[in-house]
Amino acid sequence: MVNRVVGSLMRILEVTLGVALIAIVLLNFANVVGRYVFNHSLLGAEEVQVYTMIWIAFLGAGIVTWRNMHLRMDAIAINFPQPVKTALRWIEAALAIAVVGYAITQSSWFYVNRIFAFGSKSDVAHIPMWIPHSAVLIGLGLVIIMLILRAAGFGAPPIEDPESAALEQRQ
Amino acid sequence: MTLALVVVPLVLLLLGFPIFLVLLTSVTAMLMFVMGIQPAVLHQNLFGTINQFALLAVPFFIYAGELMGRGSVAQRLVDFVQSAASPVRGSLGITTVGTTTIFGAISGVSAAAVATIGKVMYPAMRKAGYPDHFAAGLITAVGAIDIIIPPSIPMIVYGAAAEESVPRLYAAGIIPGLLIAGMLAAYVIWYCRKHDIGRGSPFEWKRFLYATQRGLWALGAPFIILGGIYGGVFSPTEAAAVACIYAGLVTRFVFHELTFKDIVEAASATAVFSAQILIIVACAGVFSWILTSNQVPSMLAAWLQHYSVTPWMFLLAINVLLLAVGCFLDPLSAILLLTPLLVPMVKAIGIDTVHFGIVVTVNLAIGLFHPPFGINIFVAQSVLGIPLKVLYRGIIPFLFVYLVALAIITYIPDVSLIGVKLLMGK
Repeated sequence: MVNRVVGSLMRILEVTLGVALIAIVLLNFANVVGRYVFNHSLLGAEEVQVYTMIWIAFLGAGIVTWRNMHLRMDAIAINFPQPVKTALRWIEAALAIAVVGYAITQSSWFYVNRIFAFGSKSDVAHIPMWIPHSAVLIGLGLVIIMLILRAAGFGAPPIEDPESAALEQRQ
Repeated sequence: MTLALVVVPLVLLLLGFPIFLVLLTSVTAMLMFVMGIQPAVLHQNLFGTINQFALLAVPFFIYAGELMGRGSVAQRLVDFVQSAASPVRGSLGITTVGTTTIFGAISGVSAAAVATIGKVMYPAMRKAGYPDHFAAGLITAVGAIDIIIPPSIPMIVYGAAAEESVPRLYAAGIIPGLLIAGMLAAYVIWYCRKHDIGRGSPFEWKRFLYATQRGLWALGAPFIILGGIYGGVFSPTEAAAVACIYAGLVTRFVFHELTFKDIVEAASATAVFSAQILIIVACAGVFSWILTSNQVPSMLAAWLQHYSVTPWMFLLAINVLLLAVGCFLDPLSAILLLTPLLVPMVKAIGIDTVHFGIVVTVNLAIGLFHPPFGINIFVAQSVLGIPLKVLYRGIIPFLFVYLVALAIITYIPDVSLIGVKLLMGK
């Protein structure tokens, strides 16, 4: 049940991020066409693209965590005996929750609140800066939720592609 | 400090913890127990590191490659190269090298090239009498060219980490990529002559023209990307976006292979793949800031100067280090972990950072197929169903070809820098 609901939510998020990616590709292209054909660039387009990429990176990290797709150097660890592997999985989960939790509570929460209170805006598009900065806060929050779910025994297998299939085979 | 910056990350890395967590743990330990400064710098650097327009090229180039890789682009490129190389001894092997090189100028994702081109070329080479280990070794090894030939995702990441210009790195990657392709092709011809396999067939203009017509749209992508960048029309990021639009239009409206749903699907996969990379980029940015704030790179540079280490010795040591690291770590993570430490030393010792970027990329490209753990070995094993024993046997001669090329690229900087001079004038 939990796997199905979270899996569906992650899938919706994945497609949303995909559509966002297409949108910034089109915006970038429109800017190139605008510059050469109409001698006019879209003001603030670069900021919108970069901030969208930051949202894609941090929200996408939640999906990556849910599917256990984070890049790691596991060539040595795969040869450990099963009890050691299990113990390491628990240590990894505890450490990740502690460290990401520290980043959220001691750094991001404080920073986003401060930037919201200051009301600072981006230089060209005048986007309130708390919006792009919230990507870090919300993305890391999503990562920690996924870490807790995975520690509780939930989680999805990685998507089937040659590279992840190869990694799986290597294990 | 040594515990937090060296011991903790090294132990966690060896235990197989995710790279982003390794970096974040080290950073958190430094902030909490050593530096005693406001933790706000953590957020500031996580955000600031990926708040760069140049990094947009990472998801854009991956997306262009995803779109091109999902249709019949690989088959069209194979047909084109094969029709041109047919009279030459070992034409199927040369077709594999040529197609992968052109594919690298579109995609820049090595595993994708091994899987896509391998599926087409491995059965064909076996059918033509090439030994299994030779065909398997060639397919696995040749994919590494894709991260050397521009557009290269590792070069964008190196550019961001070393504050080096991506167009200069791309210009520098062209000749080394072509050199490796040429050396591989030469080895294929020598091997086929020695074992009397892969006899050529007469060149047919009709076949060549037909294959050229079919492959023309696929061949257009590298011209748009590189022509656009060096013609001064686009920045690398814009070239990447134009490549996405081109790939979308060609696969949807010219080849009629992808539906709009497939185009969104490719974008979704790209978003997740990009997040895998960018989260490490963000954490590596904080790690790099911590190193710089604690003057670690300048201490290392001073140490090098104190012991009068020459560029020759330094590059030799770097090659050994990177070849070892590349066996275990993917190129992007290795670049992000090592660049902040190595680049200040490189500058102190008087090595060009563009040349060094190419040396790093070639080393880590070799790591992609270096036994026993190179990722492309497992891609070939998984996708083509080749036993590991056969793959290891087949890879070794190609590994030597790459090592000779690496020595040339390392010790003759002009092999890389001539491309920069020719394309960018300085």
